[in-house]
Amino acid sequence: MVYSEECDFIFRLKGILEFACQLDNPNGAQSKCTISKSFQDLRSKVSSKNTVFTVCNSPVLIWPNTGFQSSVESLTEASACGDILQCIDSDDGGSKKSSKKKDKKKSGPTVVNMKLLFEVTEPAGNEAPSLIRVSTQQHCVKMPLPLDCALSVTTDERLATVCKGLVEALNKQLADMEEVVLQYRKGSSFLVPQPFHFQLPEPSGLITVVYPAGVPDSQLQAVREDLHRKFELPCDRPYLRRANAFHFPDAAYKDGYLRNPHIHLNPPNIEDAKLYLVQGVYSYHHYMQDHVDDNGWGCAYRSLQTICSWFQQQGYVETAVPTHKQIQQALVDVGDKEPRFVGSRQWIGSIEVQAVLNQLLGVTSKIMFVSQGSELATKGRELANHFQTEGTPVMIGGGVLAHTILGVAWSENSGQIRFLILDPHYTGGEDLQTVTDKGWCGWKGPEFWDQNAYYNLCLPQRPKTI
Amino acid sequence: MGRSYFVDEAVEEYLSGLQAAPGSCVTGLLAGQSSPQRDFVVLAVQTPHRESEGQPKASKGVGPLDDIDVEWVTEHAKQVSRMLPGGLSVLGLFLLTPPELSKDAQNALKRLIFAMEKYIIKGRLWELSEEDVTDRVTLHICSKTKKLVCKTFDVKDPKSSAKPADWKYQTGISSSWPMLTCSVEVDLQIPVTGSSSDNTDKCMKDGLRRWAKQIEAAYCLVNGRQALDDSELISGQKKNPKTTNRQTLPTRIFVSDVELDERSTALVQVCSGSMRVRGVVHCRAYIHNNKPKVRHAAQAIKRDLINTVCSRVEMFLEDLLINEGSQKGLCSEQQALPRRVFAPMSISGLSVCDYMFPDESTADVAERLKEMLDCETPEEDIDTSLESIFSAISGSEITDSHDDDSSKHVISEIQAENPIIQKAPQYYAGVAIAAAVALLATVTSLLYFN
Repeated sequence: MVYSEECDFIFRLKGILEFACQLDNPNGAQSKCTISKSFQDLRSKVSSKNTVFTVCNSPVLIWPNTGFQSSVESLTEASACGDILQCIDSDDGGSKKSSKKKDKKKSGPTVVNMKLLFEVTEPAGNEAPSLIRVSTQQHCVKMPLPLDCALSVTTDERLATVCKGLVEALNKQLADMEEVVLQYRKGSSFLVPQPFHFQLPEPSGLITVVYPAGVPDSQLQAVREDLHRKFELPCDRPYLRRANAFHFPDAAYKDGYLRNPHIHLNPPNIEDAKLYLVQGVYSYHHYMQDHVDDNGWGCAYRSLQTICSWFQQQGYVETAVPTHKQIQQALVDVGDKEPRFVGSRQWIGSIEVQAVLNQLLGVTSKIMFVSQGSELATKGRELANHFQTEGTPVMIGGGVLAHTILGVAWSENSGQIRFLILDPHYTGGEDLQTVTDKGWCGWKGPEFWDQNAYYNLCLPQRPKTI
Repeated sequence: MGRSYFVDEAVEEYLSGLQAAPGSCVTGLLAGQSSPQRDFVVLAVQTPHRESEGQPKASKGVGPLDDIDVEWVTEHAKQVSRMLPGGLSVLGLFLLTPPELSKDAQNALKRLIFAMEKYIIKGRLWELSEEDVTDRVTLHICSKTKKLVCKTFDVKDPKSSAKPADWKYQTGISSSWPMLTCSVEVDLQIPVTGSSSDNTDKCMKDGLRRWAKQIEAAYCLVNGRQALDDSELISGQKKNPKTTNRQTLPTRIFVSDVELDERSTALVQVCSGSMRVRGVVHCRAYIHNNKPKVRHAAQAIKRDLINTVCSRVEMFLEDLLINEGSQKGLCSEQQALPRRVFAPMSISGLSVCDYMFPDESTADVAERLKEMLDCETPEEDIDTSLESIFSAISGSEITDSHDDDSSKHVISEIQAENPIIQKAPQYYAGVAIAAAVALLATVTSLLYFN
């Protein structure tokens, strides 16, 4: 996860806007105009004086389209957007202020969540209601549009400017949604347009793409190709699959696994060593998770799960992280093991990991063989290259243990090396503090390896695809 | 520990002025506001005399108590409920009986109160919350001794028994109750599936229910304060009995569309037509001044909003049914819904409201106020200015969200034409005056220059 160094805040505005229209003939030529007209009406609505933003967990209401009015006196047109934090009740015990000793790294920009509302009071006229009845056969279409706009800004940006920017973003998103709706419509069957945010390398930053619901990533290849060209992204790795969507810092991961515990560590202090680390996001899989007691035999399985989680979260696969049984079944399916292997507590090694990655994920891997643990200290260049080009986690098995290597700190000059290790033998709960304090994720020296045992390393290769 | 009812002295006056034919009973309603701590009664109205058409009903039971027209009492309660602004509701019933019927009065009151509650809540579109008081009061008055027996029943529980309650008179109970107001723009697009009139009603109800849920979930600013947590509506105000000014608190309401379920496709219905309710309604609610919370005030005005839209639609459809027989309703037209007018209740100063159909006048309203609320209101006191009559200009099409390729439905569009229509005579008058001045100037100059 790379944050723009300058942006301190992300203002995120969400809201549901109902799209409704009546079509006499869904297949007729007129229907396109009708749909476009409805979207035009929605764009007018969000630019109207009735549009109101509320800041979640605060009493703040802002009218962005009337020259900036707010319900809180301290926030005026001239206010810096950082001032808004004073109005928000943060219910996380103010942990942003207290810095844990280890947590020296910047935790990323502060997210200010806002909700889109519409005022129904203060109307323009006061004509009493009437009832209008229409009696033509028609198709009534109703669809909730899940609007979701995000803007990255610096602290001193004026709040009024941010709000204007959000209104523009709403307009643009509605235009994008209109395009998607029209493109994927079949007669009276409409697909809901869904916005996804992506953090792209500078200078693009945080962008939003609208994809049609229900259409899998595999069918959206052409759309991504266009976008890769537009944003000048490399054409051999995914940036814009749904799984690549930006994870907002304030959102918890629903599955409960820790993500990238290594970012909370201080790098080792070696003279002119460079860091070569895993790229992207992985989940920490270890003993005893998911109510599976694999203490003593499951370490390679857990390392394999960590690797699978990486491929899933970088958008290469949509399949869930496999269970022990599914891993074993895959090995039976490729003919590597007998059927009674499934349900057993037999260990696996790098070769099996390579086979399963190929069978379940379609991922190829390179195997590196090291005849003695002491030799690993000389593999700095190769590991550095791997993390630079592929950036995938590495499974290493040898002696009686399996581990995951997440990176190396290596000095080309002195040859000194440290290994960033994620240890699957941890049996505790998903507590970041314990995992980092006790070294379950930590930097180890060459003495960490059994100097006499031989080791096999499985280095997964990224498929060249977007 | 029973409930305490604080009752306005005007009610005492009204109740002691009740006249009953010897041996017969008088029923009536009690209205006001309930709060968790105490209840306030500001209005008492006896059940109006029912014009019985045709043969008088044969006496059913053994006495006047059995002759009480339960249906009529409950209908009166419903009509009165429609006339009460937000925050006020029918809290219970009173029954005046001669001494010999006193012992059976409690049973009669119990029957009546449950029947009344059941009838009033039919068709209501908002749900009671946990904080709502479900006790209703019954007051028995002996016509000879004038003794009052006050009890409450919990109408949530059909098996509940009468609990004693306090009945205390006070002056000016509601004189300093703040009044919340707002005008709300309503624009509901309701698809109609199927073609029978039952379908139309059901579709309308479903559409209104969805809208009501949106309103119940809406954000609300009362006098600039949000209804967050337990904050008080009027803080820092010293309780000064001398200040009887009624504060008017403007209210603002903000809605968001609600996604009821995660959908990946649009909901498409084949409809035989659609209905649109569009216009501005004026809402009013009162809140007691015994440390009221913002959220209770917000709830009161929101319920008033839901009630007023619902009531008018109900009244319109009822009227349609009576006048047109079956629902020939599936024709393209725009018809005005009854508009809301307000009138002050004599002593308390609280407003009540009524609904005026386009062909009615304030005289009709005054008559209804007399009949339903037993109160004389001079016509000039009836405020019809809060909602104005719409006027349709025919010939123009509503182009939003409709396919334009057919001119087979020509729908008139609501326009705020009132001011323009009124301008016309003034415009011509202005032209006439200008012409007269020009003529005068010409004549004067001719005379002068000659």
